[in-house]
Amino acid sequence: MSALCPPPSPAVAKTEISLNGESPLLAATFAYWDNILGPRVRHIWAPKTEQVLLSDGEITFLANHTLNGEILRNAESGAIDVKFFVLAEKRVIIVSLIFDGNWNGDRSTYGLSIILPQSELGFYLPLHRVCVDRLTHIIRKGRIWMHKERQEHFQKIVLEGTERMEDQGQSIIPMLTGEVIPVMELLSSMKSHSVPEEIDISDTVLNDDDIGDSCHEGFLLNAISSHLQTCGCSVVVGSSAEKVNKIVRTLCLFLTPSERKCSRLCRSESSFKYESGLFVQGLLKDATGSFVLPFRQVMYAPYPTTHIDVDVNTVKQMPPCHEHIYNQRRYMRSELTAFWRANSDEEMSQDHIIHTDESFTPDLNVFQDILHRDTLVKAFLDQIFHLKPGLSLRSTFLAQFLLVLHRKALTLIKYIEDDTQKGKKPFKSLRSLKIDLDLTAEGDLNIIMALAEKIKPGLHSFIFGRPFYTSVQERDMLMTF
Amino acid sequence: MSVDYQASFVGHPPGSAYPKLNFVEDSKVVLGDSKEGAFAYVHHLTLYDLEARGFVRPFCMAYISADEHKIMQQFQELSAEFSKASECLKTGNRKAFANELEKKLKDLDYTRTVLHQETEQQKKANDKGYYTTQAIEKANELASVEKSIIEHQDLLRQIRSYPYRKLKESEFHPYEPECALDRADVSSDQDPTASDFTEPGETHLYTHVPSYTPKLIKAKSAKCFDKKLKTLEELCDVYFFTQTLDQLHHIERTFRGDVCYLLTEQISRALLKQQSVTNFLFEDVSFLDEKPPEKQYRGCQGLGQDAIDEKCSEESMAPKVVISLGSYKSSVECVPIKMEQEMEDSEEPKMSESVMSEHQENLDYLDADIKGSISSGESIEVLGTEKSGTGLTKSESQASLPVIPSPQVGRSKVGSRRTVSEDSIEVLSTCPSESLIPEDFKASYPSAINEEPYVDDDEGGLRFTPRLNPGIDDGQDDISKLESLVQVDAACCIGKESPNFLEPVPELGQKPCEEDGVVRIPPQPYRPAEQGLRGGFPSHDGLSGGLLPYELDSRYLTGSREVSKSSLDECSDSTSYISSTASTCSDRTPSPAHLACVAGEKHRKRAGQNALRFIRQYPFAHPAIYSLLSGRTLVVLGEDETMVKKLVTALSIFVPNCGVYAKPVKHWVTSPLHLVDFQKWKLIGLQRTVSPAGVNVLHALSRYSRYLSILDADSKTLRCPLYKGTVVARLADHRTQIKRGSTYYMHVQSILTQLCSKAFLFTFCHHLHLPISEREPEESVVNRRMNFLKLQLGLANEDIKIVQYLAELLKLHYIQEPGQGGNPLLRFDYVPSFLYKI
Repeated sequence: MSALCPPPSPAVAKTEISLNGESPLLAATFAYWDNILGPRVRHIWAPKTEQVLLSDGEITFLANHTLNGEILRNAESGAIDVKFFVLAEKRVIIVSLIFDGNWNGDRSTYGLSIILPQSELGFYLPLHRVCVDRLTHIIRKGRIWMHKERQEHFQKIVLEGTERMEDQGQSIIPMLTGEVIPVMELLSSMKSHSVPEEIDISDTVLNDDDIGDSCHEGFLLNAISSHLQTCGCSVVVGSSAEKVNKIVRTLCLFLTPSERKCSRLCRSESSFKYESGLFVQGLLKDATGSFVLPFRQVMYAPYPTTHIDVDVNTVKQMPPCHEHIYNQRRYMRSELTAFWRANSDEEMSQDHIIHTDESFTPDLNVFQDILHRDTLVKAFLDQIFHLKPGLSLRSTFLAQFLLVLHRKALTLIKYIEDDTQKGKKPFKSLRSLKIDLDLTAEGDLNIIMALAEKIKPGLHSFIFGRPFYTSVQERDMLMTF
Repeated sequence: MSVDYQASFVGHPPGSAYPKLNFVEDSKVVLGDSKEGAFAYVHHLTLYDLEARGFVRPFCMAYISADEHKIMQQFQELSAEFSKASECLKTGNRKAFANELEKKLKDLDYTRTVLHQETEQQKKANDKGYYTTQAIEKANELASVEKSIIEHQDLLRQIRSYPYRKLKESEFHPYEPECALDRADVSSDQDPTASDFTEPGETHLYTHVPSYTPKLIKAKSAKCFDKKLKTLEELCDVYFFTQTLDQLHHIERTFRGDVCYLLTEQISRALLKQQSVTNFLFEDVSFLDEKPPEKQYRGCQGLGQDAIDEKCSEESMAPKVVISLGSYKSSVECVPIKMEQEMEDSEEPKMSESVMSEHQENLDYLDADIKGSISSGESIEVLGTEKSGTGLTKSESQASLPVIPSPQVGRSKVGSRRTVSEDSIEVLSTCPSESLIPEDFKASYPSAINEEPYVDDDEGGLRFTPRLNPGIDDGQDDISKLESLVQVDAACCIGKESPNFLEPVPELGQKPCEEDGVVRIPPQPYRPAEQGLRGGFPSHDGLSGGLLPYELDSRYLTGSREVSKSSLDECSDSTSYISSTASTCSDRTPSPAHLACVAGEKHRKRAGQNALRFIRQYPFAHPAIYSLLSGRTLVVLGEDETMVKKLVTALSIFVPNCGVYAKPVKHWVTSPLHLVDFQKWKLIGLQRTVSPAGVNVLHALSRYSRYLSILDADSKTLRCPLYKGTVVARLADHRTQIKRGSTYYMHVQSILTQLCSKAFLFTFCHHLHLPISEREPEESVVNRRMNFLKLQLGLANEDIKIVQYLAELLKLHYIQEPGQGGNPLLRFDYVPSFLYKI
C-alpha cells in the first residue's frame, strides 16, 4: 500500500511518543483545508514502535481524506462534528473531529483525527465517547488559541512592520499534543488493564461466604449504593492493588458489558493517572498513602463520581447528575473565558487559570458523605449471601436485581414522558412518582434516576434543572427531594 | 472517501494482460450535519457492471437518525445488519454479472463463428492470391473478438472463483445449496461452455441460462460509452434484490424508536437469559425466544431451517403471486428456493385462522406502507450513485427472469421510500378518552380514567397471532393424565396443611431433588429440548367445552365492541424531549423484530390498560389479584362476553405461568366447569345464562365455589379470601397517577420480577429447607422458613403465601423432565371467603 501512497510533504511535522505499553493507536493527525491545495496534514503524532504499521505516507493519505467533502461544510459556528470511518480495505478505523477556525487570517476547516487498526473496533467503541469528549474540549481551547494567535500576529505586523510566517499558528500543536498524548496513554492503559466484558462472580466480594468476610458490611453497602447513585462511575483507591481490584470487579458487576470495557483495573507496580470518563477505575496510593485526584478532570467526567477508599473504608460521592452537569458546564465556560482573556503563555497554563479565575471558585468539598440511604441495595446484600456461593445461584440473583433496576428505570422514564407529554410540559409531581413506582426511599430514587440518566441523558436536568413555576410545585419539589 | 479507495486497481492493472476485478471490502462511515440535526450510518459497497468503467459501480445504503449517539451506540449492530444486506446484494450482483458475462461470451462466440465463416468464404472466393482490405478487416475483427473472448472468460473465471477465495478468509459465508440433490441438478444442467471455465476442483454452482439466443456483436460496439447504465434492480438478481430490501426493512424495524428503549431491551434480554429458571413465571417466552438482531437475518447467509420456515410462512401470507423459481437455478450461487416452495405447500393446509390473521396484518402493514403517511424520525433509503431509482425496466441480462412480480417486488416500492411508522398513523385520530370508556366500566368508581379505549374484536384477532404448532400435540397425553386425576377423590387431597399437587412428580429419585423436595443443585440453563418445545402450544381440544388452541396463547387478547379508535397512548409517540438530540421515535416499538413482537408489544399495552382500568374501578382489586398470585383459581362470571373477556385480559397479567407454555388463562367458557378445568386454568371467564343449560353452569360453579374466587361482573361482587398484605398494594394502587397501560404494565413487570427474585431466593436458599441436625423436628424447619419469609424477605400476612406459591412453581418447574411441559397444579385451600361489593 505504501508504494501507492504519495510521499508525505516535508512540511508535515511528526511527534513520536514513547509509551510504556502496547499502543492500539496507530497515529493522530491534525489536518486543514488549504484553499489552493485542498486537504493538507499539518502534524502527525505516532507512538514510537519498532514495527511501523502505517507509514507516514499512508497516514497523510488517510488524514487528507478525512477532510474530503468538507469544502461545502455548512456547520453552525463553533460546531465540532464527529466523523467515524471503518475502512476495511485499509484495515483501519479513523475518528475525525471536524471544526472551523480562524488561522492566519483565514477561516478554514480543520480535522483532528485518530487512526486505529480495524481489529481494535470492539476495543475502541466503548471508549469512543471518552476520546471524543476529551478531544472536543481541547479543540475548543485550541480554537481560542488559534484566534488569539491571529490577533497577536496582526499586532506584531503593525508594531514591527514585518511578517514572520514561520511563527504563525504553531502554538496550537503543543496544545493538541498536551491532550493527544494522554489519550494515547489512556488507550494504552485500557489495552492492558481494562475490565473484561464478563466478570466471574467468584473474583468479587459477592462470592464471600458471608457479607462481612472481605470488607465491612456497611462499607460494601455504601460503596455499591453510591456507585449506583453516581451512574456507575467510581474511583477506587487503596494501597493494595489486589484489594482495590476486587472492589473494582465487584462494582463492575453492576455495569453493562460495554461499560465494563470502559473501566480499568488498578496496576500493581505503579498507579495509573486518573482518567476522566471511565466508569470504574482502580488507583494505587503512593508511598505516602495518598492519591491526589485532579479536580479539573473529575469535574469533566460525564457523570458524578463515587470515591471509595478501601484502606479506610470510606465512601464519598459527588452531587447528583444535574448539579454535577451544572457545575461542569460552569467550570468549562469559566476556563475557556479565562483562556480567552489570557495574554501570555504563562497565563494560558492550566494552573494559572484555575487559580486566577475570579468568576468561578471550585468547591473543594466536591466529595461528600452519602446523604440518602436506599432499600434496594440493602435488601439485595442482605439476601444474596443466603445463597450458596460457588454456584450460579448468586449470578442469577444478581441478574434479577439488575433487571428490576432496569425495569424500574424504564418505567420511570415512561412515567415522566406520560406526565409531561414527552417534555412539552414541566414535570409536576415527584411525590406521586415516588409513591406510584415504589421509590419512596431517597436512595432508591437516586439509584433509579441515575440508571435512567444513563439511558436517557438529560433526565436529571429536565426534572430538577428548571425554575419552579408555582409555589405548589416548589413546595412539592422541596418536600420530595 | 471510501468510494475513492474502491476505485483503485480496477480495470487493467499495470503488468496484467487482462482486466482484473477487484473485490473490495465495504466501508462504513458515520457522519452528520449538526446544523440540520441529521446523522447517518453510511454503508458503501461496490457492484459490478460489465458496461461501467472498470466494471465497478459504487453504491451506498444509509441509516439516518436525528440521534448521533444512537448510531454510535448501535454501530456494531447496524454494521452487522447492513453487512448482511450488502452481502446479499453483492451475491445477487455476482450472479447477474456472471449471467451477463455468459451471454456476452455466447454473443462473442456466435460472432466469432460468423466472422470465421465469412473469412472462410472470402478465402474461398479469393482467387487473386493476396488479401483484400475487407479480408484484412475481417481478420482483425476476428482477432479482436477472440481477444475479447479471452478477456471475458477471464472475468468469468474471476467472478466465479470469488466465493471460494473468500471462503479461505475469515468469516465469509456465501450461499450454498443445502441439499446435494440440488447441487447435482445444477451440475447436470450446466452448460458445457461454462464448465470449461470452471476451476479444477470447484463445485459446479454455476449454471447456464438455456433460453438465450446469441446475437451478433458489431466490432465497434465493443467499447461503447454512450450506453445507459443499469439500474440497481438490473444489476442484481431479483431474488437477492428483494431479499436485500427485506433486510433493509428489517433493519428499519429493528432500530426504530428511541435508543433508550433499544438499549434497555438489549440489556433486559441479556439479563433474562441469565435467569432462565424463573423466566417462565411472568416473562413473555416468545420475546425471549426471539433471536437477537444479529441472528435474525432471514435473507442471505446460511439459510437455516428456521429461516426457511419463516420465509415460507411469510411467503404464504403474501398475496398469491407465484414465483417461477426454476429460473433462479442458474449462474453464480444456487439457492434452495424450490425446496422452500415445497415446504410452503406442505405447510399451507396447516395454516390456522390465526396465521391467516397475520397474513391480513401483513397486508395491512403493506397497505399502510404504500399509503405512505407520516414518516418516523428515522428512515432507510437505498441510494444509488446513479439512476438506480428508475423503474423496473428489464434489462437484457434479466430476460429469463419471471415476468410476474414476486410479493417482495411489491415491497420493493415501499423500500425506496421512507417507511411509515405506525405510531405516526396512530397520531392521526385522537378522541377524548372519556367518551371511550365503556359504560360498564364507568359504572361506579369515581376515579378519573385517563386511558385509551379498547380496540375492536376484529382488530384484536388480527393483531395477536399465536405461534401455533398443531404438530405438537400432547393433548391426548394430558387428557389421559387428567382423567386419571379426576377419579381421585378431591377430598383426599384436601385438608393437608401444605399445598400438595395431585400430579405425581415422576421419578423423583433421578431428579436434582431430594425426597424432601429441596433443590440442591443450582439452576442450569434450559436444555435444548425444552427450548424446542416452547415455540408451540399443545392442543387442548375437548377440554372445557371445546377450548380453541389460540386461547392458550398468552398473547391472545379479546377485543371490545368499540370501533377501533386511536388512543392517547398511541398518539403521543412523536418526539423525544429529554435528550439534547431529540429523536423522533416511538417508544412502544423499540425493536419489533417481526410481527409477533409487535403483537406482543400491543398485547402488553392493552393488557396494561385493562388492568389499570380494573384497579381503578374495582375497590376489591387487591384480593382478586392476591387470589391469582397465590394460585387460587379466579372465575370471572358474567353475561356479557366482551365485558368478561376484558376483565380476564386485565387480570391475566397477574397470573403466574405454570409451565413453559401459555398462561393458564381461559377467556370464555360456556359449559359447566369440571375439576380438571381448575387444574388447567387459574383464570376463567364463565358465561352466565338464564337458560336451563346455564343452571348447570352455576350449579357446577357453586359445587366448587369453596375453593374458588368468583368475580361477578354483572353484580360487581367478589367472593374470595381476605388479603392484608402489602405487595399487591404496591402492584395495584387505585390512586396511582400512572396514565398509560404500557407504563403500568412495566411497573407491574418490575414488581413481579422482585417477587420472582424473592421466590427464587426462598427456593434455592441452601440452609432453609433442610434440618440442621438429624434430630431437628420438622416444626423447627417450618418455623425457620417462616422467619426467613418474614424477616429476611420482609413479607407479611398473605404475601407469604404468594412467595410460597411461586416457589412451589419454581421447584416443580425445575425438577420437571425437559420437554414434558408444564404440569398443571391443582390445590385446594380451606380459607374462608368474604364477599366484596362495590
